[in-house]
Amino acid sequence: MGEDAPVTDERPAPDAPDGEPPAEPKRPLATAEMTLLVDAGSAWTKAAVVARTRGRWRLVAHGAQPTAWGEEALRATLVARLESVADRRVADRLRQLLAKAPRISCHTPRRAGRLALAAVSDELSGASARRAAESAGWTIAVAATADDGRSLVERLALLQEVDVDAWLLAGGFEAGRADQALEMAGLVAAARGGSGAPVIWAGASSLADEVTLLFEPDAVTVVPNARPSATEEDPLPLRHALEGLLQRVIEPAGTRQHTPVAFRRSVAQLARATGRRIVGVDVGSQYLTWVRSDEEGAAESRVFAAGGLAAARQAAGGPGRLARWMPIAIDELAVADVLQNLNARPSTLPQTEDELAIVHAAVRQQLALALEADGVAGTELDGIDLLIGAGRSLAAAPRPSQSAQILVDGVRPLGVTQLALDAAGVLPPLGALDDAEIGEGMAVLRDDLLVPLGTSVVCRGGRPGQLLMRITIHRTGWPTIGPLELRSGQLQVVPLARGHDAELEIDLHNGASLGGPRRSRHVTASAMGGVVGLILDARGVPLGLPRRSDDRRAVIASWRDTFAREAAVPPVEANLAGVR
Amino acid sequence: MNGATLHRIHLPRGATPSVSAGAEVRPEQVLAVRRRPGPPVRVRVTEALHRPPGQVAALLLARPGQAVEAGAPLARDPQGRELLSPVTGLLLGVSAGDGSALIAPFGAEDPIFGHVHGRVRAVEPDAIILEVPGVVLHGVGGTGDAVHGELTVAVHTPEEELRAGAIDVSATGKIIVGGSRASAETLTRARAMGVSGIVLGGVLDKELRDFEAIQRRRREIGGMTGSFGVLLLEGFGKVGVDPQRFAWLRSHAGRTASLFGAEGLLFVHEASPPPTRRALPRIGERVIAHRRPFQGRAGVLVAELEDLHAAPSGVPARMGLVRFEDGRLAPVPMANLEATLVAPRG
Repeated sequence: MGEDAPVTDERPAPDAPDGEPPAEPKRPLATAEMTLLVDAGSAWTKAAVVARTRGRWRLVAHGAQPTAWGEEALRATLVARLESVADRRVADRLRQLLAKAPRISCHTPRRAGRLALAAVSDELSGASARRAAESAGWTIAVAATADDGRSLVERLALLQEVDVDAWLLAGGFEAGRADQALEMAGLVAAARGGSGAPVIWAGASSLADEVTLLFEPDAVTVVPNARPSATEEDPLPLRHALEGLLQRVIEPAGTRQHTPVAFRRSVAQLARATGRRIVGVDVGSQYLTWVRSDEEGAAESRVFAAGGLAAARQAAGGPGRLARWMPIAIDELAVADVLQNLNARPSTLPQTEDELAIVHAAVRQQLALALEADGVAGTELDGIDLLIGAGRSLAAAPRPSQSAQILVDGVRPLGVTQLALDAAGVLPPLGALDDAEIGEGMAVLRDDLLVPLGTSVVCRGGRPGQLLMRITIHRTGWPTIGPLELRSGQLQVVPLARGHDAELEIDLHNGASLGGPRRSRHVTASAMGGVVGLILDARGVPLGLPRRSDDRRAVIASWRDTFAREAAVPPVEANLAGVR
Repeated sequence: MNGATLHRIHLPRGATPSVSAGAEVRPEQVLAVRRRPGPPVRVRVTEALHRPPGQVAALLLARPGQAVEAGAPLARDPQGRELLSPVTGLLLGVSAGDGSALIAPFGAEDPIFGHVHGRVRAVEPDAIILEVPGVVLHGVGGTGDAVHGELTVAVHTPEEELRAGAIDVSATGKIIVGGSRASAETLTRARAMGVSGIVLGGVLDKELRDFEAIQRRRREIGGMTGSFGVLLLEGFGKVGVDPQRFAWLRSHAGRTASLFGAEGLLFVHEASPPPTRRALPRIGERVIAHRRPFQGRAGVLVAELEDLHAAPSGVPARMGLVRFEDGRLAPVPMANLEATLVAPRG
């Protein structure tokens, strides 16, 4: 690709026949080492070209296009991007070189698994089972519970109506006997008939034998009770069983090249390689994938098959809840129409500012809902070192500050967290490699892998207007900034360029906390710079909004403006608009 | 006519097909029947066989989900004593409390219609596959049942809104092509007038939800008769039908059409090929825009801009320059455009 691109003589000149002047030796054809990374999503396909330039492998071009445009258009897009940077010796053969280049690809699963759920209680066993299923990549096609107000016959008709890949049964606490759970199991046996679809029993363990007897041999898989008591939830065994079942039922050939799986593998490898605790969120059109990995690379993921942008219209609270998070006055009806159109035509782009604001609010909402579904105990995420955002809507935001705001507002990462963006969409394809090769691929790409957005410092606690954080920023070779005072409700963005780092001295006041077990009032931490900078956030967790719509919009707009503003050192008392 | 299109009719579990492969079918023909189970009856197995409730499940001769015949043995104890089923129905299971078997007697037969002309290609356990001699339009959304009827156009232009006043008794049993929108009131009136279905360019999400809520409530209180479906061709909001599609639909007024609201499909029988759509249009082609502010508007792609350009939203995108039919020239992201291609005649 570059000046040092390996040059080969692909077609050596043949020897000249006797008596004839020797043929003019053919000019050797320059070639280039390149690899194509492709993530074919349900709506958008992201592709990146990795090539050797000046002796190093670099990410030299990337692009995204609607999946429906096809392979040829994708190649043309990449060629157009490469033309301006490619060595002139290969510039006219980029199309052929790309066609021959090795390809590492992953793709969104062709369809989500469809599950029928039958449980005793909608709010207890049903809710636990639903959460476990939805975070394991399944969609609930139909649900019936003993307390849903339907008659037995109505439940039976409902369960008979729908095509499903598997049945999930839940109900009954471990302490007692729940005859209703057994009756629901009988109902499922009746509705399922001879369809042969697998059944999972995640209810009271004392009923497992009786439930198993209702079905043909080997039809039922028994897993530990997902709701052992009214106050206790144990969704992990069920989630793992459902993940395994999904692979067997939907993709028996393997799921390594599924984008959600590949994304998890990449994040885990990155955590292992850097020794950091990482959370990655990939918001796609259909799927939302949430990965959390510790520094050893042990990763847990949640795959919300109906958690992507296309499902935003059906999300809890609907367009009304989303409209509350808009910085501008947009009719709830218009929000609903935009969300429906997003679902109907997911590969289109927001053309107006209003539509973009709705899309960004939808991404923020989907992230927050995924986090809510992730744990029952609370919705806080703390103790992570790096938060990675991926997916077309985050990567294609017009300004990096918008991506950063979506991540910070949607996830609310407590404490000091570096933020980064998988702008080229390379993490999922790299995760489709063999275990040993993922690390190698990441090491090769090094600096090109992620776009650092900066570092966020998010605290909770305190009462409106109270001083929560006093932060001093020490930058190597630059004057110290601060101390900056952050009062409850305030948000401040301080410049800290990409490649720069800083030491932060944080004094916590009035009960403010950065999460985690540390109780010290004085915290020191390192911060990495990025295209947005250092985000100092005392708005609390979760974010609260004023009740009056005008006030609410003013506050949200002030947050947007703070993120969007060219990063500059603000005076200590500036940006009071965010004070509640 | 444009060959045959395959169409899959889903069969709920428990349905019995009444046609076989190769059979010709009509829209109003019953393709399968399903006997819905009624309120269950309790059969006291414990008393009849003198066994405790915990042992009843092991004595049953049928599994939950299997049909049992009236007068046939339902349970048998080790001594050979039998309990006969009092009714023909579906065995639901055994009540864990008192050990009684629950049997849901089969009710009257519910017919399952195909709503299309055609020939049965295959009968599968959960579906009947039909070859339909017609063409299919795929919508972006819809609601309601599968219906069929004569296709009729009730608006003058594709941008016109379908008003309640435009629907009268002459529309009964027909599939009406509306324009850019119909209110919940219009949809409710159409249903009340016996209209089979409505095809629209767009509808406000709120109006559609309101209509669905009204239907749900009416169904709950009973008294709702007949089927009704709505199909959206272009998008949500006030969106006109693509003028080419509208002209095609108008030229096929009077043909039999089958509308599948929930699946978002419209079959038009014995029809010429409709205008087709293709992603990534070429310069000079007729296009339709899919996002605001040009959603549903048609024009011609006159140029594609080099490199990426920011849309008004700020999103960088490949942009095309479109001359819309109202004369406006505007840049539009190529991702928001589709070519609309008229099929060659003959």
